[in-house]
Amino acid sequence: MNKLIYLPLIIVAILLGSCTKEPTDLDGLLDGDIIMDASLYAPEDYLISVKYPNPSVDDLNKHILIAIHGFSASTFEWQEFQDYSDTLGPYRVSQVLLDGHGRTYEDFKNSTWKDWSQAIKREYEKLEELGYTKISLVGSSTGGPLILELVSSGYFESHTNPKYIFLIDPIIVSSIKIQSIAGLIGPMLGYVEAENSGDEVKYWYTYRPQETVRELNALMKAVRKDLEKGITLPSNTYLKSFHSDKDPTANSASTVLIYKGVTSSNGNHIDAEIIDSEIHVFTRLALREGITQKDIANQQKAFEEMATKLSK
Amino acid sequence: MKKHILGFCLSAIAISGYSQTFNAGIRIQKTQEMYWENGVSAQYSFKNLKPNQLFFGFDYVTTRLGSAIGSNAMKQDNFIFSGSWAFRKDKAFHPVARLNMGYFYADYEEEIFSSLPNTAFLCAPEFVLNYEIPNLPLSVNLGTGYYVGFTSEANSPGTLQPLYYHLDVHYTIFKNKDHE
Repeated sequence: MNKLIYLPLIIVAILLGSCTKEPTDLDGLLDGDIIMDASLYAPEDYLISVKYPNPSVDDLNKHILIAIHGFSASTFEWQEFQDYSDTLGPYRVSQVLLDGHGRTYEDFKNSTWKDWSQAIKREYEKLEELGYTKISLVGSSTGGPLILELVSSGYFESHTNPKYIFLIDPIIVSSIKIQSIAGLIGPMLGYVEAENSGDEVKYWYTYRPQETVRELNALMKAVRKDLEKGITLPSNTYLKSFHSDKDPTANSASTVLIYKGVTSSNGNHIDAEIIDSEIHVFTRLALREGITQKDIANQQKAFEEMATKLSK
Repeated sequence: MKKHILGFCLSAIAISGYSQTFNAGIRIQKTQEMYWENGVSAQYSFKNLKPNQLFFGFDYVTTRLGSAIGSNAMKQDNFIFSGSWAFRKDKAFHPVARLNMGYFYADYEEEIFSSLPNTAFLCAPEFVLNYEIPNLPLSVNLGTGYYVGFTSEANSPGTLQPLYYHLDVHYTIFKNKDHE
């Protein structure tokens, strides 16, 4: 019986011991200190503000689409749309790397969601300084709430209004139910391991620190609260949310909440489209296994729709 | 209207004929990282089936009486049937183990979302602390439960999250003496 008295103490000791849990053997992974996001070495290949530091009148007449990746991802998530887009055409794609991402596990662990969005603001403001007036945004997964947070915080009241905002599988509520209790069990786990396959490990973190999962939850909660109160888009800004109906990561109810919570400046509903897909971020097919013709068609349709709007 | 009142009275008489205890009241519920969902709560125990120890209950909680009031929060309803077992039932303060089964519905409102999953079967084990206020026909229940998922997470409504806490305040409508 006396031994039972010590049982809670033993459990607490085990839990506290597990708080220091850190992943090991990060070689070959984005999480390590060898592989970094390519935009850190060659920003001119990713950021329009760096690639065209002295834009011509022709350059300034083009639409610039800032492409924002999701939680634990990197610029790779929007590489296919970059490749799809004709650089000589009427729009260009600027791929930003969120702060805290594409670097080491420690950098990721020490970042907050407010840090993540700094990269978006930096590129937006540099483009403004260079004289661009037709700037648009596309965000996949966590890129979605980061854009919505910029709108709801009033960021665009002192900046050029974006022309178009596209959201691909934005996350406001997670499909992963246990994520909602990350604040309770996270310190015991230390991190969670993602199921990346093949070369995905070079472009997505394999290990997700519980601290950043909690940051993601904090961002989702903040934006959900903003949506409950109502978010009004800047004048003449168009927004469309695309969502996979069986998204295993960002629950499709996220787009329902965005549809309910966001209105255009003249009080109209935004556009929303439900996609017949089981893929989270259905616009990224590279490195995925088991891609179907339907997946390719979904991706191409969304690319075409965005390209058409940006070509106006 | 008279028919409804008559029906209610007959039901109450019928219930009292078989019931040992009948409590009813309000529930205030919060889901971790999600909504406030409030509503009504009732439970009763039968005369000849572990009276005042085994309870059968029904709860209805909804964001319509919580987070969705005056906001764009999702309108959603939970219809919950429960079975509860009270430990140390003779003490004013006692623990209760409960198993909930029910139905969840979220109103997506627009036709474009009709293909999305908005209903779910609910099943949740729950732990409750019950306090029966001495000399008053009132009891307070503080509980926490966890919804167990039976479908793939992608096919479950996103605003149904698993961990919740609730506070019930019950008024004892009647309570017969123990037969045991």
